[in-house]
Amino acid sequence: MNMKPPEIDWDRIHEIIEKHKGVKWGLIPLLQEVQEHTGYIPPESIELIAEAMNLYPSEVQGVITFYAGFALKPKGKYVLRVCRGTACHVKGGRSVLRLMQKELNLKEGETSSDYQFTLETVACLGACFLAPTMMINRDYFGKLSPTKVSSVLGEYQKK
Amino acid sequence: MDKIVLTIDNKRISCPPGTSILQAATQNDIKIPHLCYHPDLKPFGACRLCLVEDEQSGRLMASCVTPVAPDMTIQTDTPRIISHRRNIVRLMIAEHPESCIVCSKGNRCQLRWVAAQMGIGETNLYAMPNYKPLEQANPFIIRDLSKCILCGKCIRADHELVAVGAIDYNSRGFASRPATVHEQGLEQSNCTFCGTCVSLCPTGALSAKNSRYVGSPAEESFSICGFCGVGCSLAMGQSANKVIDVNPAHLTESVNKATLCVRGHFAHDFLNSRRRIIAPMMPKKGEGETLQMTPVAWDEALDQVAERLRHIRDESGPQSIAFVGSSKCSNEENYLFQKIARVLIGTNNVDNGGYVSGQFLSTILDQKTGGGCRPSPVSDLEKADVIVVLGADPNHSLPVVSYYLKRIAKNGVPLIVVDPRKTELVSFASLWLPVKPQTDLELINALAALLHETNAYDSEFIDHYAEGFSLFTYALSSLDVDKVCRMTGLEMKDLNATTALLEEKRLAFVIGHGILQQRYGTHTLGAILNLSLMTGSLGAEGAGIYILARENNQSGAMDMGTVPNLLPGRMPLAEDSARKTWEKNWGVKISPDPGLNLGRVIKAAESGQIKALYIMGENPLRSLPQPQRVKAALANLDFFVVQDILDSEIVKLADVVLPGAAASEKSGSFTNLEGRIQGFSPVVSPPGKAKPDWEILDLLAKRLGAAEAYGTVEKIREEIRHLVPAYADMNGRGPGWVKTSSPMAVFGAAGAREKISFSPVVSTADEPADSDYPFTAILGSLRYHLGSGTRTSASDRIREFDYGGEVDISVADADKLKLKDGDAVRIETRWGEIKRKIGRSNRIEPGQLFVPLAVNANDAMNLIDLNDLADPNTTGWKTCAAKITKV
Repeated sequence: MNMKPPEIDWDRIHEIIEKHKGVKWGLIPLLQEVQEHTGYIPPESIELIAEAMNLYPSEVQGVITFYAGFALKPKGKYVLRVCRGTACHVKGGRSVLRLMQKELNLKEGETSSDYQFTLETVACLGACFLAPTMMINRDYFGKLSPTKVSSVLGEYQKK
Repeated sequence: MDKIVLTIDNKRISCPPGTSILQAATQNDIKIPHLCYHPDLKPFGACRLCLVEDEQSGRLMASCVTPVAPDMTIQTDTPRIISHRRNIVRLMIAEHPESCIVCSKGNRCQLRWVAAQMGIGETNLYAMPNYKPLEQANPFIIRDLSKCILCGKCIRADHELVAVGAIDYNSRGFASRPATVHEQGLEQSNCTFCGTCVSLCPTGALSAKNSRYVGSPAEESFSICGFCGVGCSLAMGQSANKVIDVNPAHLTESVNKATLCVRGHFAHDFLNSRRRIIAPMMPKKGEGETLQMTPVAWDEALDQVAERLRHIRDESGPQSIAFVGSSKCSNEENYLFQKIARVLIGTNNVDNGGYVSGQFLSTILDQKTGGGCRPSPVSDLEKADVIVVLGADPNHSLPVVSYYLKRIAKNGVPLIVVDPRKTELVSFASLWLPVKPQTDLELINALAALLHETNAYDSEFIDHYAEGFSLFTYALSSLDVDKVCRMTGLEMKDLNATTALLEEKRLAFVIGHGILQQRYGTHTLGAILNLSLMTGSLGAEGAGIYILARENNQSGAMDMGTVPNLLPGRMPLAEDSARKTWEKNWGVKISPDPGLNLGRVIKAAESGQIKALYIMGENPLRSLPQPQRVKAALANLDFFVVQDILDSEIVKLADVVLPGAAASEKSGSFTNLEGRIQGFSPVVSPPGKAKPDWEILDLLAKRLGAAEAYGTVEKIREEIRHLVPAYADMNGRGPGWVKTSSPMAVFGAAGAREKISFSPVVSTADEPADSDYPFTAILGSLRYHLGSGTRTSASDRIREFDYGGEVDISVADADKLKLKDGDAVRIETRWGEIKRKIGRSNRIEPGQLFVPLAVNANDAMNLIDLNDLADPNTTGWKTCAAKITKV
């Protein structure tokens, strides 16, 4: 199955750009809004954003690539972030990641060809008491075990 | 403010507040190692090599970003600091590929130098080279980012000095690297290949690309760039008598400081072109009885020139001989050249290549203000209230001027760009006025009228220095603003917005070829002068009129009298007193006959009126309209001498070819657009048997009957300094300035003794549309070539870049004509046609085409007719009605 990433809603992106145009320190809020809305920042929008914010396109790209929170490639509908912090590691976070890689047939940083899932790791989710943990979009899942991982994934695969 | 006193290395130092510790130390000869610091860039604190220790607190701090504080006690080389610095360098080297032996940066690598200073050979660290692919798809710059130490000099130079913004840091940490948008090669970015980053890069991460192995320079010496009118200071590296490397000479008094442009940096490889002329030549019968250009001895060539010129003068009179000098040759050479014409031959038929650029239009300003518009350093624009750029695209024509404009605009000085095209400068402008071509005159007049209406002008200045204001305002009052809007294509709100920016301000005008070569150039310049007078913009710092000279010595050639109507020092030939002065200086009678300019010389050669022509360093076959017609005219000459450095089409037509020298191969001086007279000495000697042009002229003058040869360039310079008051400052070394001594030029409190009169308000008529030729083709230059491109086309790098000169068309027109990027088209006008590829562009308005000059032997000149640019009724060389068809 090889599907195209979701269509970009350019009207919405233009609206977002227009909203932040020329505002001092407005670049990061603008990028966040585009990222939030589109799931990533389409590279084609860099020049438009730069023009609106009176910056060089290279500067805008510099900011996007600096922050892990911004992406220039489309991500899946669900972004899975597996915690690789110390507490999670001790509690078997590595096998959680391995299991997810196997279940989803994705490596770290990859997006499935149907743009449903993106698998990522993070240094720490700050929820060590729930170790081992992961996040799917904005939801936390803690005290993971192989069965729990499979059932959570199953839920999302059905959606 | 009070000075701050502190101690560095036990030395008491006082310096102004705000100075960094590094600057304070450097000013007092205390050396602190550094890699990321550069005096022209904002301090960045990236490399941490400049660490110093504060004795009181024991803190280590980067001295480049730490300002001095009272009673600080700083140590710069304690064992603790040295140990830290060594570790920093060790870490840099551990990440650096071990390729010093083959690295083109060689002995100029600052990282290697710093490591050697600290005695670091082996790092004893686990090597973690950060390999990146070598990027060298373009012919100018090689990027090997595995050698990057993240000092940020390239990025800061790109943003702060040249304001292009092609690169910035990408990513973070170990992955961090300077990158273009979408991480493409430089050739696909908006990089202008000015090479400023290459000169600043402390390692081999950025280096100049050569078309073949050239080695490292054995010696470096200063010179002045011979391309555009900015006159950048260069540091030229030579090896085996060849210039192999060019960098900006970082001199405090230079125009360019740490910057250059693609031509200055990379196109100087034309010096080593195979097309250089290396011996005098004359057509002689070879095998098969056909005439072939054959090398001859200097004596034979010069004797022939002298004999034939004398013969033609005696037979047909001095007016049958014409001389065309060069806006690329030195002041000394141009002075000697016109002296030969006027004194030894007795004709005023002498002009130079500046004719092509419309340089002579500046005589209007000279006449009105007595030369009061000069000299004005470009750096003064920083002090301007408002800058108005008219018909100029300095990003391409004079890049270093554009760096100034962009930097100044970024600092908040309002910039108004008046141009039919959305040039790169527009993104830095407060206001862009997309006037229709050739309607600048209407716009300027309308702005004057609106300023008058709101009483937002400098009446005190007008009272002091100008006359005829009431007549002028009376003429303005009858101006039909609706008509102005219709003709310029602007709306009333644009005009009002502009007026609001100009109110009660002193203006600096930056004038380009869009004005100088256009149809109403003379009147437009008059209108600009009116507006300058009205706003009190003359004689003040950061205000006035800047004429962008396209070629390096365009102003100098004019100052030296290598123009038909002016004697040296821009003294009008028509004035008896001026002629008397020079008759006394030279001890001969000067003909009062006005001479012919370059355009008229060609027509006179066509009709047979001109029988002999001597051209030095100019190629009218490339630079004038209707090349076929020019060629026929040149073929019609009885005797034709070409003194040049490169083989070209005109060389084939010559009866005698004399090989001259480029700027880096001789001594002399150039006068740049600001009136800065800059001396230079040879970096290398001329190739083969070629000689410096002044020497050729000196030898010829002797043969034509000059009493004494000059023998040295200093002697010629001495005579100029003595006889031309404006050049009293001229020396062979650092910069001198063109002096103004006219009573009108002095804008002191007392007022001028002679007042400047307002020029009449000229109104133009609507141009009827031409249904056969519905487009307006605008001819203009692009940065990879200078002028007609003779020298830049001989540069291997520029040739390899293979810039095709795509014609820009608006996306709307392209859609209508179903044209895709790269489609071949034919552009036709009433005068001729050319074939080019097309490029769809958002920078041009529908109904217009932009045709780049200088490519394909400058074939664009076929599109316009050979009208006399100096005639006030000229139709201009800038635009023409055109049609376009897909082929």
